[in-house]
Amino acid sequence: MVKKVFRVNDMHCPNCAMRVESIEDDLPGIKQVSASYRKGQMVVEFDESKVDDAAIIAAVKKAGYLAEAA
Amino acid sequence: MEQYLVAFITGLTTGGLSCLAVQGGLLASSLAHQIEQDILEAGTQKGKRVAHPKTALPIALFLLSKLVAYTILGFLLGLLGSVLTLNSTVRAILLIGIGIFMVGNALRMFNVHPIFRIFAIESPKFITRYIRRAANGKGGSQTRPHRDWFTPIFLGALTVLIPCGVTQAMMAVALATGSPLQGAALMFAFVLGTSPVFFLVAYLTTRIGARLEKWFMRFVAVVVLVLGLVSVNSGLNLVGSPLALANWFRPAETAQPALASSPLPQSDGVTLYLSAENDGYYPQVLNAKSGTAVTLNVVTNRTFSCARDFVIPALGVEELLPETGTVTIPIPAQPAGTVMRFTCSMGMYTGEIVFDQ
Repeated sequence: MVKKVFRVNDMHCPNCAMRVESIEDDLPGIKQVSASYRKGQMVVEFDESKVDDAAIIAAVKKAGYLAEAA
Repeated sequence: MEQYLVAFITGLTTGGLSCLAVQGGLLASSLAHQIEQDILEAGTQKGKRVAHPKTALPIALFLLSKLVAYTILGFLLGLLGSVLTLNSTVRAILLIGIGIFMVGNALRMFNVHPIFRIFAIESPKFITRYIRRAANGKGGSQTRPHRDWFTPIFLGALTVLIPCGVTQAMMAVALATGSPLQGAALMFAFVLGTSPVFFLVAYLTTRIGARLEKWFMRFVAVVVLVLGLVSVNSGLNLVGSPLALANWFRPAETAQPALASSPLPQSDGVTLYLSAENDGYYPQVLNAKSGTAVTLNVVTNRTFSCARDFVIPALGVEELLPETGTVTIPIPAQPAGTVMRFTCSMGMYTGEIVFDQ
């Protein structure tokens, strides 16, 4: 398990953070996502053997936001 | 039973609008989150247009939460039978704090600078996770758009901290019942009465705004900004601050002609007469003799507005005036040049006594 910070600058309101966090239900290998609208970032705890940065960024994009590794 | 009916009708008539003036900002802040969300969804789902922001549910949640909070407050007031009303200084601090919060939120919505994001209320993670999963039926971000339920519920409950003048009068009645159940029922009836006006005004406002779609966000931000500034100004009035807006424009020295709609006895500098009316205090400037104790007679005549809750911050005076009658307030001798401000308990109506004779 690793913890990684991603910048998500286009979150618009606190609801967006909730929506970004919903990727933890979509992607196997993600233990927890903690997104903060205030900080414009999310902290993802995930299993590197099951999921990688690109998959996480793609899942966030599917939810409507642009993420990049911090 | 009759007193509950009176409480309901009071809420339906004077209470609704008076409370909307004071608490409308919180409702607007609550709706702002929902509107942001809906406009965002309209933007991300190309080809789909949101007919209008789905504001009925958050308004209903806000009002329901408010109803529950006030019913509990009525219960506590009746149970304790002791004075639980917040004094004017605490209320002033609350109003200024809430005002700053609202102005900050408006600047955040205008996207002035990321620093204003600190004013966003972020629900605790365990609650957002619970709501998300409940809304999605289990999982999958695209199955159903989530709704932010926490914010309107939280803000609705917060209104208990900023009761308007009419509400405070009703709280005093709940206190006087000396019974938890009666106190709860009274506040329930009153707040229920205020709800239709709240709902109607808030809902119609959002429907009109929805036509403007992307401009509506800015419209909401402007409303929140104005209400925030009004709230700060009310707080400043309540502590008698010379920074309050009314003091910038009020002629300080000249005695104003009698503006009272009902005839008042002539003030002679030692015995002063002030009319507390539904739309404010008249005359707004009273001239008094310095260096001698004076008597202020505050006259009400079928006054139902928050002007009834009369405050002189400098003296620590806070009087709930009768609907019709005269309350005499002794004022100790003041040095020449003193400007003593008075206000209603929510800082909406103001005036001053100038000791210059």
